[in-house]
Amino acid sequence: MNGEVTEALKQKIIEHLGTVSKAKNKEVAKALGIEKHLADKAIGELSKEDRIEYIYLDTSYIKLKGK
Amino acid sequence: MGTTDIGPPDYHTMLPGVIKKNYGKWKYHEIIRPGVLKHVSETGDVVYTVRVGSPRLVSVDFIRDICDVADKYCEGHLRFTSRYNIELMTGDIANVDKVIEAVKKLGLPVGGTGACISNIVHTQGWIHCHSAATDASGLVKSVMDELYDHFTNMKLPALLRISVACCINMCGAVHCSDLAIVGVHTKPPKVDNEKLAAVCEIPTTIRSCPTGAIRRHPDENIKSVVVREDLCMYCANCFTVCPAMPLADAMGDGVALYAGGKVSNARKPPMFSRMIVPYLPNNPPRWPEVVDIIKGVVNVYAEHARKYERMGEWIERIGWETFFRLTGIPFTEQHIDDFTHAVETYRTTTQFKW
Amino acid sequence: MDENTPLLDELEKGPWPSYVKEIKRAAKKNKAAKDLLGIQELSYKDKVTHWKHGGIVGVTGYGGGVIGRYSDVPEQFPNAASFHTIRVNHPGGWFYTTKALRQICDVWEKFGSGMTNFHGSTGDIILLGTTTENLQPCFDALAGIGFDLGGSGSALRTIAGCVGPARCEWSTIDTLNIVHDLTMEFQDEIHRPRWPYKFKIKASGCPNDCVAAIARADFTIIGTWRDSLRIDQNSVKEYAEKGFDIHKLIVDRCPTDALEWDEKKKELTLKPEDCVRCMHCINKMPKAIRPGVEGGATIMIGGKAPIIKGAYLSWVLIPFMKMEPPYHEMKELLRKIWDWWDEHGRTRERLAELVERVGLKRFLREMGIKPVPQMVFKPRANPYVFFDKK
Repeated sequence: MNGEVTEALKQKIIEHLGTVSKAKNKEVAKALGIEKHLADKAIGELSKEDRIEYIYLDTSYIKLKGK
Repeated sequence: MGTTDIGPPDYHTMLPGVIKKNYGKWKYHEIIRPGVLKHVSETGDVVYTVRVGSPRLVSVDFIRDICDVADKYCEGHLRFTSRYNIELMTGDIANVDKVIEAVKKLGLPVGGTGACISNIVHTQGWIHCHSAATDASGLVKSVMDELYDHFTNMKLPALLRISVACCINMCGAVHCSDLAIVGVHTKPPKVDNEKLAAVCEIPTTIRSCPTGAIRRHPDENIKSVVVREDLCMYCANCFTVCPAMPLADAMGDGVALYAGGKVSNARKPPMFSRMIVPYLPNNPPRWPEVVDIIKGVVNVYAEHARKYERMGEWIERIGWETFFRLTGIPFTEQHIDDFTHAVETYRTTTQFKW
Repeated sequence: MDENTPLLDELEKGPWPSYVKEIKRAAKKNKAAKDLLGIQELSYKDKVTHWKHGGIVGVTGYGGGVIGRYSDVPEQFPNAASFHTIRVNHPGGWFYTTKALRQICDVWEKFGSGMTNFHGSTGDIILLGTTTENLQPCFDALAGIGFDLGGSGSALRTIAGCVGPARCEWSTIDTLNIVHDLTMEFQDEIHRPRWPYKFKIKASGCPNDCVAAIARADFTIIGTWRDSLRIDQNSVKEYAEKGFDIHKLIVDRCPTDALEWDEKKKELTLKPEDCVRCMHCINKMPKAIRPGVEGGATIMIGGKAPIIKGAYLSWVLIPFMKMEPPYHEMKELLRKIWDWWDEHGRTRERLAELVERVGLKRFLREMGIKPVPQMVFKPRANPYVFFDKK
């Protein structure tokens, strides 16, 4: 659980989101092979930086901003 | 995007001075009279709390009225309890009577302490809920009007917690209350085939049913479901996932009554409330049938239970058969459990009373 | 619009404070509140609710905190046609300054119906009734005065705790701090629903459990102690001198027969190894008996109301856990539970239902928690045991 959020990690998430229309946090964690908690943290930062956005269809998804 | 995820204000910023100073240092408390607590700290400081009943569903002007009292006598602080009571705190005993006078002027009762009936935890009911099988605020008002004296005095064997839930989702600790009023449906859902095809996911709807009563519509051309009515116990879980299956029915909806639950670990472990009346019709605005039975049970309990005995502890001691005899409430086939953990409730001993 | 409300007017009578009077107060200033009164009267006449399933409404960036609500009689009551609820996360312990409360009132008078619940069953401040257009400006105004939304849907719900050490001598843990710390840590989990169903956390400072954590929380934190409760013999004597029947009301009522009363010496002694910390003697003799000093919490899981498979009381998971900020051990445990539940849970399956379905044994294994007898009332009676097939 002690992984740090780095710009490189965030970039990987952005790249992954480029390949899908939307994704759940846990799908991102699985695709990148990282801890779910770390993915949550990175995704939270990406959202604050306005690089991704949340969409809600029964559950929470993320997607690239404006995609 | 605007500011998000700031969370609630830090509680430190909300605490009155005497609370902040004596945080974690409280030594003991006493109830100096119904509705008034005195807490004494290791530091020698004292705080008096006046507990005030509230209807919970209130206008902003109600909150402002309470704030006026708190500004005048409580240094601009107050708190609420988990049962919606308002607590006005002061370090100065001279302010206690002034606070009481001020809240009485607002038409609010002082009480809710010790061996009493405190405020009724309840849900939204017809005021705001789509799945309500009964109203909540009106039931609370009707019951509390009749049991008012039990809020303002402390003459019961033990505290008695009442809850109201407007459907069996039971928002509020209704399933563990001394007395509980629960809104129930008694008619199966009415399936709107056209709407269902448009707004509901059929597999999810089928899976939502805990008794497997929902099947795909036999006609393949109709994208909908059918309900096996003999398997439906009206839980409305299907309606929650699929709005095209409403259960609400003016004639069928009503309330069930439960008794004997508690959450406290004192003496006996926590207990579930058990059904005492399977169904009473909705009879607004005052639900007289419900109020009568609740009042009757409270009176029988007050007369028979030993000091400190909660409703459920009393019933366990005397036995449910005695409870039904003393209260005169008829025991019916609906009282016998036939759901998931039913067998645990069957009597596996020859010990019982006549 | 029909302003005649004969049924509701009945509920203005009687000694208990009337919510109908409150709606009428709000109705004088606000058209939506006026129509709310009309809709409520209609429900009293028709004996059914006039609210429909909520649509998806909310504020930017959040998947919850707002309950969408539309009336099924919009022509008759156009001002309450959409009447959404906003859940506002309360400060821990429900303490307020009047300044903060007045600010909330001002915001809600501007953007909503002026009707509120102080509080909802889960603990939020409930702002009852506004339009879709007003949601975002109302949220922004609330953020401006330092308040944020609570949880709704398949998310972590607003965390609540009892008054705790702020004004209670029995609390063995700092419930306000635990609630605030977890709330701040898990903002994402509160605001962005992504689980099978709702998840509730409640903290009570002692086994009296004033917030009903054991009945209502998937994750239940209840204050307890590991040493012996404390008895002040001088105060015990005072109780006895005042005629309080210690033998009958305290010793005889102790569930595990852990207390002894010496009538001659007027002395009360405890066999600490027999005490189960039920709180009875402490509750009834608060001046003389107090909890121990080696405080911590019993962590329990699974409490919930009946939907779907029946009601559950929380059961013991960790008999004793130290509760010191920043609560790493508890947070790790919570994350582990959530990930596991999210992986294996079906839609609308609460934690207790999932654990019952797959078995507590598997849950404990996957959490890495060693089974101890404190977790059960009694061991199994049947012989149907799964052993590892190696």
